[in-house]
Amino acid sequence: MTSTAAHSDKNFFSADGKGTSVFRLFRNRFLTGLCIALSLLTLVPLFSIVILVIQNGFPFLSANLFTQLPPAPGMDGGGFGNAILGTLVMVGISLMFSVPLGILAAIFVNEYAPVSWLASAVRFVAKLLTGIPSIICGVFAFAAVVMTTHKFSALAGGIALAILILPTILLTAEQALLGVPYAFREASFGVGATPFQTIWRIVLPEAMPAIMTGVMLAVARAAGETAPVLFTALFSQNWIKGIMEPTASLSVLIYNFASLPYAYHIKLAWSASLVLVALVTLSNILAQVIFAPKHR
Amino acid sequence: MHKEPSKVHTISIFTTALDQLRSSVLKMSSLAQLNLKNSIKGLLERDDDWCNNSIADDEEIDLLEMQIDHEGIEVMSRFQPVASDLREVISSIKIGANIERVADQAVNIARRARKLNEHPQLPELHLLDHPIRLALTMFDDAVRSFAERNDALAVELKSRDKELDQLNRELTDVLINRMQDDSANLPSYLNLIFISRCLERIGDHACNIAEDIVFAVSAQDIRHPTKQL
Amino acid sequence: MTTEASQHPLELTNDFAPGETNFIKVDNFKFFYGKKEALHGINLEIPSRRVTAFIGPSGCGKSTLLRNFNRMNELIPGVRHEGDITIHGTSIYDPTVEIIALRRRIGMVFQKSNPFPMSIFENIVYPLRIAGQNTRSVLEETVERCLRSAALWDEVKDRLHDSALGLSGGQMQRLCIARAVASRPEILLMDEPCSALDPIATAKVEELIIELKKDFTIVIVTHNMQQASRVSELTAFFYLGNLVEFDNTRKIFTNPSMKQTEEYITGRFG
Repeated sequence: MTSTAAHSDKNFFSADGKGTSVFRLFRNRFLTGLCIALSLLTLVPLFSIVILVIQNGFPFLSANLFTQLPPAPGMDGGGFGNAILGTLVMVGISLMFSVPLGILAAIFVNEYAPVSWLASAVRFVAKLLTGIPSIICGVFAFAAVVMTTHKFSALAGGIALAILILPTILLTAEQALLGVPYAFREASFGVGATPFQTIWRIVLPEAMPAIMTGVMLAVARAAGETAPVLFTALFSQNWIKGIMEPTASLSVLIYNFASLPYAYHIKLAWSASLVLVALVTLSNILAQVIFAPKHR
Repeated sequence: MHKEPSKVHTISIFTTALDQLRSSVLKMSSLAQLNLKNSIKGLLERDDDWCNNSIADDEEIDLLEMQIDHEGIEVMSRFQPVASDLREVISSIKIGANIERVADQAVNIARRARKLNEHPQLPELHLLDHPIRLALTMFDDAVRSFAERNDALAVELKSRDKELDQLNRELTDVLINRMQDDSANLPSYLNLIFISRCLERIGDHACNIAEDIVFAVSAQDIRHPTKQL
Repeated sequence: MTTEASQHPLELTNDFAPGETNFIKVDNFKFFYGKKEALHGINLEIPSRRVTAFIGPSGCGKSTLLRNFNRMNELIPGVRHEGDITIHGTSIYDPTVEIIALRRRIGMVFQKSNPFPMSIFENIVYPLRIAGQNTRSVLEETVERCLRSAALWDEVKDRLHDSALGLSGGQMQRLCIARAVASRPEILLMDEPCSALDPIATAKVEELIIELKKDFTIVIVTHNMQQASRVSELTAFFYLGNLVEFDNTRKIFTNPSMKQTEEYITGRFG
């Protein structure tokens, strides 16, 4: 069994001594290290964007930016309060349409008739529409809303964004519902609950954190889109007066100001970018906090 | 009723344990049969050597009874047998106890025979021929019905027991009368009466064994048929 | 003794004293998953206020039959049945019977305990809330009654509003039993309730079953034959979708009539 002096480090559990164990150990460590390194690498673009935006936008931040209107080209002073409001309003409109629609459709597809032809069709179309170019949403809203109402409006912008994010919300809501264990539904039916009661009292609350995550992803996308908003809501130098009026938005403002040759406007564009990123991050955190799972 | 289960247990050590228990009972019964025959031989041929053999070999039978009890309890605690298996284990334990009593009676006969051999032979010895034959065949049939799982044979044993009881009573009366006439041979007559009693007890135990076999094979309890549970 | 156990009525031996003999009556019941016939013409009468055990190898149909009593199988698409099941004289397939009402009169406990992701209190009052009962005092009284019935009150009475998911496996299953009796059903269906529990938790649940049978008719599906012989008074043995034998538990486990039953319970199957 075990010899004494020379090979005293060998015991019952020692390697088989063919030299492969050393190689295995090295390979294991190398691959682990590679995974860690690549993971860190993925964080680089993320952090560099954030760092860049903060570096360029933060110094210029002040309360004025939130309360004042944009300056005319060449002028100094002013902010982008109306753009912030406009983005909030349009994202709000888009959520008003897409969230109930998406969640209810996901409930139908997953809870009421999962194996029906309608459910399959809905799933298929939703997947298809996730890839729809954002400008097409804009074009559609232009034709459907702007041309029929004969005006550019925040409503049209909101609708364009709604179409953009609806498929995402539907699919993530469906995934969230699928993530709720069947055992809960079974127990609920077992005590004589109707499907509606089961969904309303058990499934939805349980799926809510995941659904909200999906909604927040959609919000992030909607807040940042420029193309659909560009020729539906247009732009405005003034505060928004009603949803049937054109409105400024952060994304369009950044697009407009970043290409101007005026330093002030470029600084405004950076600050607006910072505000946009901050807005999206804040709403994300809020959603996680409000809809966090209460009991794990 | 279905007799021997045709299939084997999924857990093979269960089958092995049951087989082991069964073969212990069979071994014990054949040893008891041998001892009984030896005792009878010692009695009828007036040969003390056969008697001594019988008495000496009883120890092995006692050990087997303990072994059967241990094996039976182990099967029950390890395998939690049910239905026919459960009945077989319980019956085996009870049959072991009954065989041990039969072997004890064989020893009693051997001891009495040795006493008888010290005195001249009595002609009344041959009155025992019929009870001896009956008791021996009853015990042999009980053993055979266990080996064959034959409950019909076991049921039939009970009627022969009545005959043996009757023979014992008659023989006792005859010998008591002889004792009054021939008081010189009083001890020998007493020994004959005792031997007759031993034979009657052997018949009872063979009957008990038969009842246990019937219970094991067909789940019927044929003891005390006039009384209901 | 008869040879075709699935044809003979409830011919039970000696000391059985039934409540209502045919409380649950299964009448030539067949059940199909799509084209596959899972149950072939089952005839069975289950008495009230007794524990009846369903035993048999995997896939024999015992769980399938159990889940038909409260029509839970209808949650699976593509199933159909022939024949009838009546409870207390009323067919469960009668058009005037609401499935929801049926399920409220029957409690069900599943193999893997499935408490809702809510507090212990909310778990138990859920059946009441869905029936519209929200009065605080009624809910509190129900929670205490049910937890006491499930032998869980002393263990959790100080943390009723903690999450149910923080309980141990055995406690969760007893919580599910408490929830199942909340709406005072008449029948309790248990589908292998102890298979995920350790021996001590199992023993507690078995003790519970024996207590509960005073107030409920209990049908329990179990893989564990010792459990069936411990807790039940009647046992039904199923094999490949047929009811092979149905009799007093004592008879089944000491001297079953059918050879198949004998082979299964002694472990000579296969």
